[in-house]
Amino acid sequence: MSSTTSANTAASASETASKAPQGIRKAVVVGGNRIPFARAGGAYAHASNKDMLTAALDGLVARFGLQDESIGEVAAGAVLKHSRDFNLTREAVLGSALAPTTPAYDLQQACATGMEAAIGLSNKIKLGQIDSAIAGGVDSASDAPIAVSEGLRTILLDLSRAKSLAEKARVVARIRPRDLSPDAPSTGEPRTGLSMGEHQALTTAQWNITREAQDELALASHKNLAAAYDRHFFDDLVTPYRGLTRDSNLRADSSMEKLARLKPVFGRSLGDAATMTAGNSTPLTDGASTVLLASEEWAQAHELPMLANVVDGEAGAVDFVHGKDGLLMAPAFAVPRLLARNGLALADIDYFEIHEAFAGTVLSTLAAWEDEEFGRTRLGLDGAFGTVDRGRLNINGSSLAAGHPFAATGGRLIATLAKMLSERGQVDGRPARGLISVCAAGGQGVVALLEAR
Amino acid sequence: MSVDHVLTEMPSLSKLYLNAAAAAAVQRLVRSAPVVALPTRALEVRGVTADLSKLTAFAHLMGKPARDVLPSGYIHALAFPVAMSVMVQEDFPLPLLGMIHLRNQVDHHAPISFTDVLTIRSWARNLAGHRAGTQVQLVVEVRNNEGTALLWRGVSTYLAKGIYLPGLDKPSPQTAGTRREEFSPPQPTAQWKLGVDTGRAYAAVSGDFNPIHLSVLSAKALGLRRSIAHGMYAASRVVSDIGSPKPDAFSWDISFESPIFLPATVSLHISDTLAGDGGWLGSEFTAWNARSTRVHFRGSVTAGTTQP
Repeated sequence: MSSTTSANTAASASETASKAPQGIRKAVVVGGNRIPFARAGGAYAHASNKDMLTAALDGLVARFGLQDESIGEVAAGAVLKHSRDFNLTREAVLGSALAPTTPAYDLQQACATGMEAAIGLSNKIKLGQIDSAIAGGVDSASDAPIAVSEGLRTILLDLSRAKSLAEKARVVARIRPRDLSPDAPSTGEPRTGLSMGEHQALTTAQWNITREAQDELALASHKNLAAAYDRHFFDDLVTPYRGLTRDSNLRADSSMEKLARLKPVFGRSLGDAATMTAGNSTPLTDGASTVLLASEEWAQAHELPMLANVVDGEAGAVDFVHGKDGLLMAPAFAVPRLLARNGLALADIDYFEIHEAFAGTVLSTLAAWEDEEFGRTRLGLDGAFGTVDRGRLNINGSSLAAGHPFAATGGRLIATLAKMLSERGQVDGRPARGLISVCAAGGQGVVALLEAR
Repeated sequence: MSVDHVLTEMPSLSKLYLNAAAAAAVQRLVRSAPVVALPTRALEVRGVTADLSKLTAFAHLMGKPARDVLPSGYIHALAFPVAMSVMVQEDFPLPLLGMIHLRNQVDHHAPISFTDVLTIRSWARNLAGHRAGTQVQLVVEVRNNEGTALLWRGVSTYLAKGIYLPGLDKPSPQTAGTRREEFSPPQPTAQWKLGVDTGRAYAAVSGDFNPIHLSVLSAKALGLRRSIAHGMYAASRVVSDIGSPKPDAFSWDISFESPIFLPATVSLHISDTLAGDGGWLGSEFTAWNARSTRVHFRGSVTAGTTQP
């Protein structure tokens, strides 16, 4: 009797163990797909967010043979989103060849949307909640939502509630000419009224970043991206859409002379200290990206490649409203925390992907990390955080050349870095490591650590 | 179909409608002896490409994402001017205006990108009696530029109501296949609210400004009590709703049983046929008037292609 009982107990215990999450398992990047990014008003001027996200998803499905496949979860988002697109990602899934039993959700964390999607889904994979996932993002600056004025909106809502004809007439009579002007979205920060460029201009000046240094970074971005296209690096990362095969912002023939001729567009009130031009700032862009994530078991069972592990991620935010830090400086704090948690220093990173919202953003971040006082007083270190080897920074180009469709940039960076790490393989007997850093509106930032398989 | 004629450019649908109206007027004045045979030539247009902005508007009207590949229904709209040119030829035995769309069968052999240069060819076949007039089939073939690969093939069956041609037998009532048997509607899987502007909206994206779809007035001029939804709007919408997990090759077939007078609420039922392993083999659909339960159309989408 007692032996039977103990046998039953043992059986049920092992059954429970097999159903429970097996500790933390690995989440891997299988690959990615994006459409070429287009300058606003260009090739995708009449394409909606749903069109572009579906196009990016179509290419991913085709590349990895996911037709009729039920994916664990798909998460994506758009920063500029029509209210009718409340289920944008699920709608894109339904329009794709993925199995209709694939759940999906929208999320939005400004320019860090794609990063947060990938980190959140990787965590679900690590916990054993799902075996596969697609992270994505899309943005259209061309097909942006335009709302009616606040006055007209209130009147229209009141009108829908009015019952009698007389009541309706009274509501309609409230409309004034000023109510008829539309309300277009802007990149201004709601709390400061400053555009992102104006904010960065202040930070750029604060860190004494020169015009030449910014133009050099912009030029390197164009040259590196063009070279990567030329050696077919993006062949398995990009699917043409609407006749576009490369990012339309890419200027392979750019030069320091050409960049030097451009007039400052941000921080003009700074006078001679105004250094930010259309050449060293990202333009408004349309585009979409997707990344396929999986557990090792799922990738193996589907005979799919495993490029890199998603090791860890970290979000951060700064108090820019009170002027304590620059709007786009959150990664300057998030990266040191992420690396410390993983026992790493900047010198241990083989590839850096630092999103080029503006050349000034990247250079201000690097300057802060090299600054002893910043390291001591703001990061709580003994001295400067460290130096980024410029030979490891954005070596296949970044947003200054490719453009930056807000929510789509995270997916572009993750897929690009994962492929770079996979090609690099081992460094000094350990897997190659890569770091992604993305700043975002609202004084936020999301950073992540990847590792070659 | 022995003699072919190559048109130098894509015909304009509005001009074709004008020609058809003029022909109808002449027909009324000069009652010449009716022609009872179909013209034997096929018409062909080469170098056709889709217009990206029209393609985008078409996909969006169907509530679908705009892709680089053409929706199957859009290809019908793209090729329609060639088919219509066949029907406005002087020796075509039936009047074009007022013709009713009975059925559409399509084999979609391969994806077509908006950048593909196409050759479109059309001819008429199977002139036959019908209990309500005379029916004819228009075949449209869409091939690659070289004409070597068949990409899309559609067969549209039209009825010239009240036109009886000598020598064509009317089918006996038993074989006419009226399908007016009892219809007990299943639970709908979707409901379409079609406004009065549905016809105009489809005309704008397809270029097919047939007066029966545009307004009450223009529909009345052709003997209808109100404007009706374009059959190809319904077909394009339901085919894209169903989609195909294997979009490389599929076929669809739709029969129009009663016109959708606008505005309308149309109930739709879609049911899938699955293989033993759960893979999609096809879907059947039926649409009916939500109030009167009269069937508007029914048909199927099937993986793979057959030659209609």
